[in-house]
Amino acid sequence: MKESSGSVRKAREGDIDQFMSMIFRMKKLNGEFDPLFRTREGDDAPIRDYYLKCINDHEHFITLVAVKKDRIMGLVKAEIRERISYEPSRELRIIDLYIMPEFRRKNVGNMLLSAIYGEMKKLGIKIITAEFPSLNLIALNFYEKIGYRQITSVYGKNIEEDSD
Amino acid sequence: MVSMNDGERTARFNRLAVEYSRYYKGKIRTLPSVPINSLKDFSYWYTPGVAEVSMEIKRNPEESFNLTGRWNSVGIVTDGTRVLGIGNVGPEAAMPVMEGKAMLFNLLGGVNAIPLPLRVSDRDHFISVVKALEPSFGGFNLEDIESPKCFYVLKELQEKLTIPAWHDDQLGTACIILAGLINSMRITGRKPQDTTVALVGSGAANIAAAHLLIESGFEPRNIIMVDSKGILDKERDDLDSLMFSNPWKYELALMTNGENRKGTMENAIKGTDIIVSAAKAEPGTIKNEWIGEMNKDAIVFALANPLPEIWPQDALDNGAKIVATGRGDFPNQINNSLVFPGVFRGMLDARSRGVNFRIMVKAAQEIANFVGAPQPDRIVPSMEDWELYPQVASTVARASVDEGLARKPDSREGYLKTAREIISANRTMIEKSMDLGFIRKLPEVRE
Repeated sequence: MKESSGSVRKAREGDIDQFMSMIFRMKKLNGEFDPLFRTREGDDAPIRDYYLKCINDHEHFITLVAVKKDRIMGLVKAEIRERISYEPSRELRIIDLYIMPEFRRKNVGNMLLSAIYGEMKKLGIKIITAEFPSLNLIALNFYEKIGYRQITSVYGKNIEEDSD
Repeated sequence: MVSMNDGERTARFNRLAVEYSRYYKGKIRTLPSVPINSLKDFSYWYTPGVAEVSMEIKRNPEESFNLTGRWNSVGIVTDGTRVLGIGNVGPEAAMPVMEGKAMLFNLLGGVNAIPLPLRVSDRDHFISVVKALEPSFGGFNLEDIESPKCFYVLKELQEKLTIPAWHDDQLGTACIILAGLINSMRITGRKPQDTTVALVGSGAANIAAAHLLIESGFEPRNIIMVDSKGILDKERDDLDSLMFSNPWKYELALMTNGENRKGTMENAIKGTDIIVSAAKAEPGTIKNEWIGEMNKDAIVFALANPLPEIWPQDALDNGAKIVATGRGDFPNQINNSLVFPGVFRGMLDARSRGVNFRIMVKAAQEIANFVGAPQPDRIVPSMEDWELYPQVASTVARASVDEGLARKPDSREGYLKTAREIISANRTMIEKSMDLGFIRKLPEVRE
């Protein structure tokens, strides 16, 4: 695996255009795994506003980008979640992790995760989880390879569709 | 006018093919290869003696290559999902094509090839059936399987089998493309590492060709792939989807196109040295003026059949130095039949356990070298260059030894002698069968 020169930093508002383009690519791919992940058509503004909030709200989100000069190579957006019944009481859940194809296999994913572990340590969070579509076997292999294990399953249905 | 004559000629061949097939009822058959003079001969060819032969093989299954015809038997397997240009016609309808292939295997390579169209439900079923057939054969030739299924099937079989698996639409075509390009580059004074290539069409042939070109010394960054959506660039919207639906194409998207060119086929061709097109069978798919935008002494392989993507003369008139097509009625026919008979003869003679791109590069170099002094209108041998097949066979067999894949090592000279003898004896048998009327003369057909 070739190393990619570049660095990881917190995402900024000025990143939002490249950031959103990557988010849309990832969500579009999710839509191919399951119709429940069909992406919204039309006005992108609410989605953009949501991610701007994630970028700025450091109390509830960790949002990092791996950059090379002014190009964003990859991003990770994770939510800080309360675990009211469990110990430890907080976990970080990775919701979005995406690397642009031209920067894949260059260790960018590991760079992002190392940086996110660093942020977790600063916040005293010890548990990290990741969610992705069940059929995304590449994501599954990626996480298993770096020591993650399956700890929960999420099932879904559209109640307006027949379910014999 | 050209296309009309071509159409008439095609219609005539179609009619003759059906008439002759009805008359001959199959293009191949099996015959004994041992003397049978009286019933007592059955005592060793069959019971009781044959049981001891079985026991020998039971004790050492590798002996099946020495005590039966396995060493020279190849299964031609297909599911009939992409037969020639006629598409998914099913296994029964694929049989005439597989029989034709078996005939070429036999005539050109002295190989006993058995057509095996399979009625299978999916790609894993296909793989399990072929794996189950392994004890009967020394190699498998996969044929006319739709893309991208063909990549998965070939990869899995190459991993699971202890005999070679070859998909001719990928590997055979890639091999003869490389052979043609080697001579084209000799003529135009190019070196692979400095040469730029546009591969137009990203199906079985060109995906394999890309890998083979890279193995032979082309720089991945100097290769641009084009498919029906345009240039395969790293930012294309469908790239993530390709990662799952066609990981082989996805791999190449990550490796190739160092400039990250985007857009149409025209953008891919501009300023390149070579086009290898295996795309839409329609002249004009590659426009005449695009050839003028290529580098000096451009090399154009327009391989779609039956009609090339650009007529050869149009490409030459617009600046191409060398043009090749898939057709036999123009110079430089890029034809798999120059590859697979010799490759299989060699793999069988070495009792090879497999095949890889390094062996294929050597086969392509041998085919290119066979031409001697290549000319713009002779970059590949002709199918009637009978000596080609043993030469390729011995190169492939020796390469199998070098790769540690040969069960039966020998020198190149030894392999060459073996291949010549087998191919020559087989051809003599066919000729004698025709002379003696066991293979009947072509019937009169009303034109």
